[in-house]
Amino acid sequence: MALSRSFVLGQHYPGTSIVHRSGALVKLVSTITLMIGVFVATKTAQYVPIVVLLVAGILVSRIPLRFFARGLKPILFLIVLTVVVQMFFTPGKIIWQVGFVHITREGLVLAGFILCRLVLLTLVSVLLTASTSPIELTDAVSDLLKPLSHIGVPSAEIALVMSIAMRFVPTILEETERIIRAQVSRGARIGEGSLVMRMKSLIPILIPLFVSSFRRADDLAVAMEARGFRVGDPRTRYHARHFQSIDVFILLGTAAAVSGVILWRLFL
Amino acid sequence: MSIDLKNVDYVYDSGEPFEYFALRGISLHIDEGAFVGVVGRTGSGKSTLVEHLNGLLFPTRGDVVVDDEIISNDRKVLAKVRRRVGIVFQYPEDQFFAETIFEEVAFGCRNYGFSKEQVDESVHRAMKTVGLDPDHFLSLSPFQLSGGEQRRVAIASIIAVGQKYIVLDEPTAGLDSGSKLAVLAELETLRQATHVTVILVSHNMDEVAEFCKQVIVLDDGAVAFQGPTDTFFSDVTLVERTGLELPESYRLSRALKACGSALTVNEASTERMLESLKLSVSDLGGA
Repeated sequence: MALSRSFVLGQHYPGTSIVHRSGALVKLVSTITLMIGVFVATKTAQYVPIVVLLVAGILVSRIPLRFFARGLKPILFLIVLTVVVQMFFTPGKIIWQVGFVHITREGLVLAGFILCRLVLLTLVSVLLTASTSPIELTDAVSDLLKPLSHIGVPSAEIALVMSIAMRFVPTILEETERIIRAQVSRGARIGEGSLVMRMKSLIPILIPLFVSSFRRADDLAVAMEARGFRVGDPRTRYHARHFQSIDVFILLGTAAAVSGVILWRLFL
Repeated sequence: MSIDLKNVDYVYDSGEPFEYFALRGISLHIDEGAFVGVVGRTGSGKSTLVEHLNGLLFPTRGDVVVDDEIISNDRKVLAKVRRRVGIVFQYPEDQFFAETIFEEVAFGCRNYGFSKEQVDESVHRAMKTVGLDPDHFLSLSPFQLSGGEQRRVAIASIIAVGQKYIVLDEPTAGLDSGSKLAVLAELETLRQATHVTVILVSHNMDEVAEFCKQVIVLDDGAVAFQGPTDTFFSDVTLVERTGLELPESYRLSRALKACGSALTVNEASTERMLESLKLSVSDLGGA
């Protein structure tokens, strides 16, 4: 129970806001474009257009702010490390010094810039994954890859593999917990003792997990074939996506924000 | 010596908006050497209860006491409690990992530091208990067995450790009817021979009526009844209220009474029901 709850790959926060209802492909494209925009900027101030768009998106989505805070947690260490390194090791005009430790003005500016960059990159992707269900997201990836199928990339199959993998993450976590409980009840001590002992204690968990995963895969394949699935055949979708006006707004907003960043960088 | 639960609550996501009481105010007493059934409809808290018995879950409130040990997060206490309480989970054959059945059954014994001779002896004894010939089976791979044989090997791997209390969570699910009875009969023989306590979680009321003298009935996370099995099955309203069914033998006996028949049947098990029915029919001089 604890394992599957603490695991936040599926960071989906279901909702009915217009951000949730807009097309996954549009959101994916917009996210990628915004990320490029984040990398194009060279000064902190140039992030303003992106921040405006992001804040608007977060507010409209009505996803609670602590959800975004949770998304930042995994990269907290990375943020602190880079900020500290930039702050103390950037040469320039010294504004504070104790012994050989010093902070430069340039260091402070650069640290702030990097901080904004990392936080923005994370928040943009959290907004995407929070407002889009994993299934929609894989559909969007498959749409994005579709042009590649003309040059022989099996885009539909890649998308299928992705969605099956995502579908089974919670199932396999549950299975893992079940097996751990069973082996612990047979006196197994997991994660105790020397490194070698710890590695050995994983064998009674991994082997049953592999066995059951193969069995599951077999069952799934049979079930899919029984329902007429054939590799390479064209498939239709249960949830057909149509372009809506909100999609246009998102794309226009994204284009405006990113061109804002580019123009700012070129001419200001 | 006994297992006692004192006012145990177990709450999933305590304090969160989605908090959910899986167990509420459970107080239980299970005597050493008993064959106890745990029944209740799906979602009544049976599996959560089972996981409290060897410290896989800890009560949100209240105490679980095994013999004289109060279960806590302390490593020494946990080691002691798990040495005393073995659990056979649902579909236990899913935990197989070893290359041979011998290794599979010996896993628990090795974990508890048995000497080589002790391991050998325990494995052979456990295999015989579950009705599998050690000489034939021990060198095979557990994955090449039939479903019923796999289940038996899985049960043997718990029995081999020689715990005082053995909890089985639906040990007969998915077995053919012959294997079902055989597995339970083997457990009953073991209990009589070694005075081990057997706690059987089951959906099959015929099994419970036949093997369990005592029964614990859970309903919506609380204990709805605890006591002799025949007392429970005689209280039809309680059986219905807890969402359970009467065993076949009780149903026939009630039906006979309802239509005013002079026939009486033994309710203890389906088999005895049939025997007693034959006897009383021939007594009446009927066909």
